[in-house]
Amino acid sequence: MTGGFAVRMAWRETRHAWREFLSFLACVTLGVAALASVGSFGANLDGALGREARSLLGGDVEVRSPRPLGAGIDAELEKLAADGATVARVEELSAMARDPSSARTLLVELKAVDPTYPLYGRLETAPDLPLDRLVAGDGVLVGADLLARLGRSVGDRLVIGAAEVTIHGVVTREPDRPASLVALGPRVFLTSATLARTDLVRHGSRVRYRALLRLPEGQAARPVRDGLSSATTDPAVRAVAFDDAQPGMRRFFTQVTTYLGLVGLVSLLVGGIGVASAIRTFLERRLPTIAILKCLGAPSRSIMATYLGQALVLGVAGSVGGAILGIVVQPALVGLLNGVIALEVATQPPPWIVFRAITMGVVTTLLASLWPLFTIREVRPSLVLRSRVEARLPGARRPWLVATPLVLGLIALAVWQAGSLRIGAIFVGAAAAALILLTALASGLPLLARALPRSAGLAWRHGVANLRRPGAQSGVVVVTLGVGVMLLVAVALLERSLVRQIDEEQRREAPSFFFIDVQADQRDALTTVVREAAGVTPTVTPVVRARLAAIDGVPVTREMVEQRRRRQDDRVWYLTRDYVLTFAERPPATNVVTRGRWWTDTAGGARASVEEEAARALGVDVGARLTFDVQGVPVEATVTNLRKVDWQSLTTNFFVILSPGALDGAPTTYVATARVPASAETAVQDRVVQALPNVTAIPVRDVLERLGGVLDRLALAIRAIAAFSILSGLAVMLGALTASRYQRLYESVVLRTIGASRATVLRAFAVEFGCLGIAAGLGGTALAAALAWVVLRFLLTVPWRFDPAALTMGVAATTALAVLVGFLATFRLLGRKPLAVLRHE
Amino acid sequence: MIIVVRDLVMRMTSGRHPLTVLDHVNLDVDAGDFVAITGPSGSGKSTLLGLLAGLDHPTSGSVTVAGVDLTRLSEDALARFRRRTIGYVFQSYHLIPTLTALENVAVPLELDGAHDPAATAMALLQDVALAERLHHYPVQLSGGEQQRVALARAVALTPPLLLADEPTGNLDSATGAQIIALLLRLRRERRSTLVMVTHDPALACHADRVVMLRDGRVVGEREGAPVALDS
Repeated sequence: MTGGFAVRMAWRETRHAWREFLSFLACVTLGVAALASVGSFGANLDGALGREARSLLGGDVEVRSPRPLGAGIDAELEKLAADGATVARVEELSAMARDPSSARTLLVELKAVDPTYPLYGRLETAPDLPLDRLVAGDGVLVGADLLARLGRSVGDRLVIGAAEVTIHGVVTREPDRPASLVALGPRVFLTSATLARTDLVRHGSRVRYRALLRLPEGQAARPVRDGLSSATTDPAVRAVAFDDAQPGMRRFFTQVTTYLGLVGLVSLLVGGIGVASAIRTFLERRLPTIAILKCLGAPSRSIMATYLGQALVLGVAGSVGGAILGIVVQPALVGLLNGVIALEVATQPPPWIVFRAITMGVVTTLLASLWPLFTIREVRPSLVLRSRVEARLPGARRPWLVATPLVLGLIALAVWQAGSLRIGAIFVGAAAAALILLTALASGLPLLARALPRSAGLAWRHGVANLRRPGAQSGVVVVTLGVGVMLLVAVALLERSLVRQIDEEQRREAPSFFFIDVQADQRDALTTVVREAAGVTPTVTPVVRARLAAIDGVPVTREMVEQRRRRQDDRVWYLTRDYVLTFAERPPATNVVTRGRWWTDTAGGARASVEEEAARALGVDVGARLTFDVQGVPVEATVTNLRKVDWQSLTTNFFVILSPGALDGAPTTYVATARVPASAETAVQDRVVQALPNVTAIPVRDVLERLGGVLDRLALAIRAIAAFSILSGLAVMLGALTASRYQRLYESVVLRTIGASRATVLRAFAVEFGCLGIAAGLGGTALAAALAWVVLRFLLTVPWRFDPAALTMGVAATTALAVLVGFLATFRLLGRKPLAVLRHE
Repeated sequence: MIIVVRDLVMRMTSGRHPLTVLDHVNLDVDAGDFVAITGPSGSGKSTLLGLLAGLDHPTSGSVTVAGVDLTRLSEDALARFRRRTIGYVFQSYHLIPTLTALENVAVPLELDGAHDPAATAMALLQDVALAERLHHYPVQLSGGEQQRVALARAVALTPPLLLADEPTGNLDSATGAQIIALLLRLRRERRSTLVMVTHDPALACHADRVVMLRDGRVVGEREGAPVALDS
């Protein structure tokens, strides 16, 4: 019986009042749309990464090392090949390509491959010919951007190192290089023979040696990986199976989509607040009906069921609408991030994501309805006896009973979206803090009224007094708008900080170039060329490549490394990486000694200075002994101090510096940095490469610009999702304005009847909306600054600086937006004739 | 006795001032009687009527209707009680604005789980001469029509007790007379008890008994002079 009555009443109430629910619907729709689009994108991206795991890796199993793989691995590979596996060897390194006709140069990434490459996925080339034909003889296959940047075409010649090659084609898709994030330059494919001719691979060159395997049908990858792993004792060799969990890129993208998802969740929460507010307003208007129903004998249960059912139906309708909107928007998101990820991401939304988004929308609606609905129980039927019904809903008798499921529900939603209890809890905490601040600001608005002097005009006093009017929902508007503003301004602040950081590096003493692989007998030539081309003298630093062989006499073995890897210890990198050692008499200018002391003389054996983080990761302190293997020769040094390195200063920085003399006799190359005027950059690069073809010139500005470009894309994507929040906030504001429309009309008419001009009434409106905007703007930007500070300090370790321009813009824009939207929603009220309105009273 | 009121006190706070609306009121009503409650405005008449229906809880005292002590019932129990026992007619009609006339009359029937509430409601509306207005909303009806719908609603479940609070207060005299005639007919047909609040002495004369209230106290009672208005 209750059910039937509730359903019928719900339908009757809705058919009459659907217009009141537009704001409610908008809030739910926008929130769910945000979640659906981000969720689909994330799921599709993850799916692509999973599907393409083999192509991304390059094979079922990959073995890689910064040095030639060694006899043990070679033997194992031969055995596997004999058992039916296909092997492809790959060598990758950065180098300079030069156009012989114009002498223009470009940093490129060389990749020498076996004819069997690629083992999975397709290399898309133009012309569409097999790879071995394209790179036969002295042929190379280049990325399209190389042609653009050097002004070359297919068929032209290039000089790489000591070799002259011919461009035979263009590569448009490379299966195991999906993210241009990590690329320093365009790709160049060549054969091993051609690579040998370039004479670039010498002791000390940074080459990545890879072996890719395609296993016969049915053979599992992991045992093969384990087999290869135990075939070598070199700790730097890494064997990976395609189904190993979380190679770095996948983890990075998972994180990006998680954060995007949280931004989407903010939209939904803002929507939830809007929903709660809409339901409250709706129920307040229904107080007479509720009281009458109680008079007629309806139990509270039936009445609650009626409005709950109504809220549910609207919640479902809004959620479905939101899911559709999200699906429509998602391809745009894919397009935005396309430059960052060159993967084939599907645009069809996975059904379970759509289901999840809709569920979240419905659950949010339910949670938001709880509190207002429970207060129905407190409505007294005696209300009907009073001639003027109070406009307020009674408070709930036991608020904690209602609040607890609300908070738990929100936490559950956040954890579900974030996929992690910790992140979910942090999110809820941050959201709570934001809401408290904004609510406090909103409740401070009425205090403004009392603070205003008596002499302030009618428009001011009336405008501010209106903020306090019951049903004005000022608090809700400030909170929802404020949250949206917070997100957008935070993104802007972060982007500006990061861009400014990048800019500053360039304007500081950051060099324009890093020249690497400079041989001992090329130092003078390099100095001369740079001086002639730009009038500056490069700083030349000796470097020796070595690997860490032992700590305090304990050898660094493969077992030790594998153990750490299994424990998901990221810092195992410090054990396996190629160290670039140098020696110095004094600590470098940008380094600060934090423990121990720098050496003052060279007597007493080799000493070492270690960077703090590295020391922590290696577990060494002052007094420890580090043994390095410099191409077969052990060099032992005692740690005498630890250093703090300012990595933001883009000079040559070293993890380990040895005392002078420690590296005497070791094969040494040189790294040079030079700070040249921007106009001379191209000339310097071209002249250096022409004179010294084996030297690689890394143009810092170029790299930073690429980084800036990637940041731009990411920021745009985040802004797009954050926009849903602002739209939700505006929907709430419009809803509040619509709900109070008649009251506002009545008041404006009364004012005009007693002599106030329309301009005065308009000004009162402007004051009211302006105050809402300023409160939301101030609260939102303050929170944005705090949020940006947290992210910069704890996540990105970039210094935070006070950015008054952005903050002021935030407040001003919000105020302007609030006033504009307010006017658009209410200006027509001023056209109504007073008498007509008063008579209907 | 269908109504027994003993020592009823009702205090409310209006702003910061405590107000004694009813001051130790005693009242007995026999089943089937028509009792009018009169008094100047502010004398507590409407509040007394509301307490008879259990619309509020008194500060002290007891209200027993049809043998049930209302002061001991919970809100939901009161609602159930009201549904079956009481038909209430308000001065401002208090129809639900989002329901048609037919739906308004059907609400008590639906709440009670009656069979075919729509047919019963239609019959009721025909009985009050509103057969052409079944699907009109309250805003489309005149005051007199709205009150007729309210009357039909009040008697839908044939409650033993009818309470009417100034039922003609918002109507002109001609329409008011029609409404009163209708109310009395419906009451007679169903043999219900009727307690009506009015400050119109002419109306009060139709009652079996008139109870006079002033400043929250019963200051007098007299016999009415019932004249069949519809004969």
